[in-house]
Amino acid sequence: MFGLIGHSTSFEAARRKASELGFDHIAEGDLDVWCSAPPQLVEHVEVTSATGRTIQGAYIDSCFVPEMLSRFKTARRKVLNAMELAQKKGIDITALGGFTSIIFENFNLLQHQHVRSTTLAWERFTTGNTHTAWVICRQVENNAPALGIDLKKASVAVVGATGDIGSAVCRWLSSRTGVAELLLVARQQKPLEELREELGGGRILSLEDALPEADVVVWVASMPRTLEIDTSRLKTPCLMIDGGYPKNLDARVAAKGIHVLKGGIVEFFTDIGWSMMEIAEMEKPQRQMFACFAEAMLLEFESHHTNFSWGRNNITLEKMDFIGGASVRHGFTTLNLQGLPQAAVA
Amino acid sequence: MPTPVTSEVAVLDGQAGSAQALPDFSSEAYKDAYSRINAIVIEGEQEAHDNYISLGTLIPEQADELARLARMEMKHMKGFMSCGRNLGVEADMPFAKEFFGPLHGNFQTALKEGKVVTCLLIQALLIEAFAISAYHIYIPVADPFARKITEGVVKDEYTHLNYGQEWLKANFEASREELMEANKVNLPLIRSMLEQVAKDAAVLKMEKEDLIEDFLIAYQEALEEIGFTSRDIARMAAAALSI
Repeated sequence: MFGLIGHSTSFEAARRKASELGFDHIAEGDLDVWCSAPPQLVEHVEVTSATGRTIQGAYIDSCFVPEMLSRFKTARRKVLNAMELAQKKGIDITALGGFTSIIFENFNLLQHQHVRSTTLAWERFTTGNTHTAWVICRQVENNAPALGIDLKKASVAVVGATGDIGSAVCRWLSSRTGVAELLLVARQQKPLEELREELGGGRILSLEDALPEADVVVWVASMPRTLEIDTSRLKTPCLMIDGGYPKNLDARVAAKGIHVLKGGIVEFFTDIGWSMMEIAEMEKPQRQMFACFAEAMLLEFESHHTNFSWGRNNITLEKMDFIGGASVRHGFTTLNLQGLPQAAVA
Repeated sequence: MPTPVTSEVAVLDGQAGSAQALPDFSSEAYKDAYSRINAIVIEGEQEAHDNYISLGTLIPEQADELARLARMEMKHMKGFMSCGRNLGVEADMPFAKEFFGPLHGNFQTALKEGKVVTCLLIQALLIEAFAISAYHIYIPVADPFARKITEGVVKDEYTHLNYGQEWLKANFEASREELMEANKVNLPLIRSMLEQVAKDAAVLKMEKEDLIEDFLIAYQEALEEIGFTSRDIARMAAAALSI
């Protein structure tokens, strides 16, 4: 069985969903009530792959909402309790969705392996980052040519280049696509230099200097709230892949010739009979989902029960090949720009 | 999932690695709070002992097993008394008696009426889940002496929760309505007990939010094991959240 740990995109959305599900008492509660609400396994689902293989899954809502980010202990407890529930339910492989993996990583929850009487078995969980990175790369490869951008002549900026997903994207783009130049942007200098050494190329730039040079920008770091992007300095056409969470790039760079694509999103070939994906605010909630969620499904389809994506900078090209191959085989396609002729998906 | 660090998360980066600081066990404020918390625990174990013995009169065929559980509670009580002595704290027993008063009253009424299901819900589910969650939260912030004792106790309490679970599971259909009713009456009491103890618990570095969520997790697990659907459970548990 595969599992997905998710949460609502806001407190208001969470209350609406609880009310729809008939949990009125909780829906009416204030944020303090939600801070004490235990995780819930809200939905079971059965999914059949394009190959005909059928698997079972479960969706766990951690009862976390982004408004709790400033409450460090609450956020930590929400994630650990949801993981404990997944394990107690006997779920073999669970993806940490939305803020769950971000909290896990940033609050260093590896040191909290014991939750009450349960010892969390890390091999039952995956961040889903390998699939996300592969999907973002395919989105670059598919959509840049559709805009008339020849990757072999293009500069691709990766913002958040040293992160888990960012570094994997850099590895793939530099060795598999022959992009003309990689522009590496991140907060810290030392990891950037190490990455450039590993890649055997790439140019380290500040965000401000990188943007005007880029034909393609892959965002895998979220932006400070105050960041403003001067769209008049951007190249046209420019493909922007919004691979961050939450996805908030669209409004900032709306301008002619700037094409923003939601990054790390996949679409399944057929409807999935679940209701919980609506809370992820996908355009087609019956088919579209975060690639990280899909990774748990793929690992279940492949009976590959292991923490496939775990820790930082462990994503190799071989792992991306494996998960990418599975993704195509089982019926996922990557989200593409709408209204443009598309290249075939891998 | 994407790794990006939002500005909100980034601010909290520094807190991640810090171990939980222990309270000053010798401070007057700690001892004062401990005098009530320790008393509640001692009284709770005493009540549990008495309740299991009483349950034996309602389920005579299991009186021996219940007497065994009762003996364990007695052992726990003595262990917790030694925790108070170790810190030089005198337990405020009158406070604890009053604290358990309403729940004690409900148990006694149910006992007189021969309501096994209500008695089991109060003792073997509510009180045991309350104890398990509180002990789990206490262990990381306890003094070394109490920590060791509490670790031993918490293992036993699972056995007790399990006893009630198994009985109610075996008699689920016949118990269902009474369980719902008993939950409605008694769960709010547990919630108000949590509220009453919150301030003292905070001095011991046990936070109310943690206590409520962990209690609900243990209680919901028990209800699920007994046979309730997750929707029933969420509705039943709502009585604890929405005060």
